Amino acid sequence: MATFGVGSRLGYVDTNPDRSAGLVAAVAAGIPWAVICGGAASELLGFGTVLAIVAGLLTGCLVSAATAFSREDIGSTVPLGALSIVTGLVFLTSVLGPEWVWSLGWEQPASLTAEFVIPIGTLLNAMFAGWAASKAYGGFGARGRHVGAYVLVYLNALSIVAFLFVLVAFTVVRGVPGLLNGAEFGLGVGPATTIELAGFGFTFVWPFSVPFVMNGVALLNDFQGVLPAIVGTIWLVVGAVLFAVPLGIGAAIFLTEYAEQGPFTQAVEIATNGLWSTPSIVFGLFGFAFLIPRFGNSKSLLAGMLTLGFMLLPLVLITSREAMISVPDEYRDASAALGVSKWQTIRSVVLPAALPGVVTGVILGVGRIAGETAPILLTMAGGTFVPGSQTADVIGGFGFVASPPFVTNPELLQATSALPYQLFALITAGVGLGDNVANPDEFRWATALVLLVVVLSFYAVGIATRYYFRRKLSYE
Amino acid sequence: MSFIPDFVRGSRSGLREAVDHRARRARDFVDETEPEALAVVTIVSLSLIAALVGFLLVSALTVVPISAFLVAVTYGWIRHQEVTARILTLTTTVSTLLILGLIIVFIFIESVPVIRYESATVFGVTVPGLRMFVETRWDAVSDPVRFSMVPMIHGTVMVTLIATAVAAPLGVSAALFLSEIAPPSVREIVKPGVEILAGIPSIVYGFIGFTILSPWASSQFRLTGQGTYLFVGVVVGLMALPTVVSVAEDALSSVPESIKSGSLAVGTTDWQTMTSITLPAAFSGVSAAVLLGVGRAIGETMAATVMLKGVPRLTDPLYNAFYGQETLTSIIARNYGDADGLQMDALFVAGVILFVTVLFISIGSQYVEWRMKRQFGGEV
Amino acid sequence: MSEIESTQTQTHQSTASQPSQTTNGESDEQLREAWTDHAFDGDTKLAVDGLDVHYGDDHALKDVSMEIPERSVTALIGPSGCGKSTFLRCLNRMNDRIPSARVDGSVRLDGSELYQEGVDLVELRKRVGMVFQSPNPFPKSIRDNISYGPRKHGDIDTGLIARMIGRSDERQERQLVEQSLRQAALWDEVRDRLDDNALGLSGGQQQRLCIARALATDPEVLLMDEPASALDPIATSKIEELIHELSREYTVVIVTHNMQQAERISDQTAVFLTGGKLVEYGDTEQIFDDPRSQRVDDYISGKFG
Repeated sequence: MATFGVGSRLGYVDTNPDRSAGLVAAVAAGIPWAVICGGAASELLGFGTVLAIVAGLLTGCLVSAATAFSREDIGSTVPLGALSIVTGLVFLTSVLGPEWVWSLGWEQPASLTAEFVIPIGTLLNAMFAGWAASKAYGGFGARGRHVGAYVLVYLNALSIVAFLFVLVAFTVVRGVPGLLNGAEFGLGVGPATTIELAGFGFTFVWPFSVPFVMNGVALLNDFQGVLPAIVGTIWLVVGAVLFAVPLGIGAAIFLTEYAEQGPFTQAVEIATNGLWSTPSIVFGLFGFAFLIPRFGNSKSLLAGMLTLGFMLLPLVLITSREAMISVPDEYRDASAALGVSKWQTIRSVVLPAALPGVVTGVILGVGRIAGETAPILLTMAGGTFVPGSQTADVIGGFGFVASPPFVTNPELLQATSALPYQLFALITAGVGLGDNVANPDEFRWATALVLLVVVLSFYAVGIATRYYFRRKLSYE
Repeated sequence: MSFIPDFVRGSRSGLREAVDHRARRARDFVDETEPEALAVVTIVSLSLIAALVGFLLVSALTVVPISAFLVAVTYGWIRHQEVTARILTLTTTVSTLLILGLIIVFIFIESVPVIRYESATVFGVTVPGLRMFVETRWDAVSDPVRFSMVPMIHGTVMVTLIATAVAAPLGVSAALFLSEIAPPSVREIVKPGVEILAGIPSIVYGFIGFTILSPWASSQFRLTGQGTYLFVGVVVGLMALPTVVSVAEDALSSVPESIKSGSLAVGTTDWQTMTSITLPAAFSGVSAAVLLGVGRAIGETMAATVMLKGVPRLTDPLYNAFYGQETLTSIIARNYGDADGLQMDALFVAGVILFVTVLFISIGSQYVEWRMKRQFGGEV
Repeated sequence: MSEIESTQTQTHQSTASQPSQTTNGESDEQLREAWTDHAFDGDTKLAVDGLDVHYGDDHALKDVSMEIPERSVTALIGPSGCGKSTFLRCLNRMNDRIPSARVDGSVRLDGSELYQEGVDLVELRKRVGMVFQSPNPFPKSIRDNISYGPRKHGDIDTGLIARMIGRSDERQERQLVEQSLRQAALWDEVRDRLDDNALGLSGGQQQRLCIARALATDPEVLLMDEPASALDPIATSKIEELIHELSREYTVVIVTHNMQQAERISDQTAVFLTGGKLVEYGDTEQIFDDPRSQRVDDYISGKFG
């Protein structure tokens, strides 16, 4: 690569360089050289920290200057090429052997080891070299920088997608054994579900049995599971949606359709955006201070629902409002011109038109809160292992009493578990898990996988809904 | 031109006028509405206020006004749908504001005792809460009991700095890719990918960080014990990445196509157009995106909680990012269980600091975005 | 490939119900020969041959062939949606920006083909400048707007490094800005506020700034897409004068929907009619005084369009 640069300078290769490689290249070339020389001065030559920093800075500046003040073909290839050569030599000649350790000598000890420095150094080198090479490939000049930058941007986008893929794949691979622990497939192996219908009971036997998602934790179980947490998560989401969606959509209707656009709507907008970016743990604190004393002074499912509802509310409001604003005014005018009243117009024209946006927003928002741990930590958390008998049965829990508040539901006021909390509890419990579960690590990974599946399925549904509506709209 | 006159001075001078205007509108509303509907509206409003008061006072009788509210709404919905719908939507709006108000009030009230306890005297003046920010000792058990916020603020700053260093360049570059470079087919794959990345629960990140990264870092860097700000920062940065990407992408795509074409038409490369025209034009939107990402990183709890040591102290030296002690968020999540009295209140102080910081960041980014909208909406 | 396309198009055209009446009964093909054989004053700068453009399923431009002579003003007129802007955007390949656009056929600039592998779009657009329908100055200072192109081409360097090594081109930049602004007849109005934001100028000034910006890169051809449509009459007349001046040095191709404007400023006129077809092309006087196509006559006399 460096040879190519020199060749170009001497006129052997036909390129189109600028007079200078530019500031960015100068800084980019200077920094690694500064780090290397600083490090070398401190480690190999035994200089003190201050001297090492000075040496590093000096080299960095020198390289920067060399990059900046020579013609672009030299400036953007030679310093980086030399960098690759030097680091390659250093690694190959075992100046930095596998046993190399650089203790930083801090109060809290930390060292840079070869195991870490060599791969990272190689990676960075490869990036720098790739950048310079693609610039050279583009023939330097504006076109070369264009190619160089595109290579980096593409690389970045690719690594983000790859990162996502690896993350999910890793969780799946580690989680599946635990999930399928004791799982059976085939007719008649699953638990029986009885459905009462008009006095007749239909008993339906599931054709598969996956104890991990169908059992709680009990002493006599062959396989332990997280059923209570799954049910808890579902109820949490249902409660939060029931609370936040009507409120959010109602407020969005008022703000877009009734309220005059002015300081008031602006204030509400600032407030909702503020609410949206409020850290989830603060919502938890609020639920702890505000809701728990009001629901029988103990952590409860209801408090968790409402706390998550508070979190969901701004998101529903913002997305519904955006969807309603994007409904063209012509629709409203047309409806009003037919003599239809305002509320009727909203109900039959604005809301249906805004529905796709609202639905997508709600689903994505639900995905977000379903995975939240921090707020429910303070408001509804149950134990690390929840017995199957504690699976929340909200509908069956309603009862009526003679004294105020007349309606009771012990299920709602009881602590239960949810998947994210259970995972947190499993992590922090650390040792001692072995008594309850045969293979705690497998159990944890399986819990993470179930959580991931639950949350990502919300996202998949949300994104699919958006595509569905978008295609429907574009064909209309 | 500046923000202040429009937002504050303008509304202040117009305040009287606005109040008059409202009063007139209210009178008109009363005049125009049928008496029966008016009665419904009155009952709805009164019962709601009563229910709120009852709820705040922890009264079991709250259920009475709530039922009154439900009955009135049902009746109103059948007989006077127009008015009822309006009142209901107004109610929901007010509730949203009320929730924010309640959050502020409650977390502040809870934090008062410890702020009193941690008063310090400077030049003979007693400043409540000052000692939390000048000392560095956090110890809830042994004497002297102190609740300094400094170690946690340090931790949050470290994590946020590292996270921003990860999320800002990667996020802006990915946003450029999505809005300017990617062909439509690639875009259709990458964009949902980024959204899904936003959906992965923080506890899952934390779990992977805890089981994989922390032990690895510990052996790599020859650390005593596990937990480093470095890796917490990287993980949190990856979590803040989708926020940066989606907001920055919106900003970049809102730069008018005409000036991008204008730049290409004078014979520049796509990359030159992006760096010299699109990015500077969308600068405020992109910085709002980075600000929001910073806000996310500050508020991130679970990954920090499971990956950090949980010992509130400063690292030594201060820039030693290889050790991770405690952040404002993680101390709450870790200690809420066994905390009571002053220590619980101290956790609320951490909450207040978080809330106020993030609120300011949110308002700041809204201001920046508002300015960008003005630039393209008002003057072009 | 493109050959098949164009034959298909032609069969499509002949089966189309559109009558191809001319004033003296000639067919479309004969009309076309009339202008392909016609010798215009000056050498050919741009030669277009069998140009077809599709946007997705939409056939926006059908088999257009024409030659544009250098150092002259060529006006493209026609009703809206007739493809004249599309045609203009083919001449510097700005249509490449639209993902659904597909271009077949050939455009040659000084004899070299634009639509082939390995054409440097940057180089092409340096030679073929463009002014857009609505003024689109960059949100930068007036000076930066003008020097933007040359800076990006590396012709002028006033960056930090250049200043450090004492090779800053500030003097050249000043000259270039002044010269371009003078050419665009804007210099006297803005000479005292070159560092002000260009967005503060009036619409007409902004459009002249965009012309100056295009001139600063020293193009050979200047494409203008209805440059005066968003302007008031006074600004319009300034732009028209300017175009007239420019045609001494540059090859100007201008799209307009204003027939009087075309008649006033152009040397040649091409008439596009609905459906993306070039119906008649010739010297402006001939087109306006004695059009050969009946439809062009109707259009010019305002009977439809």
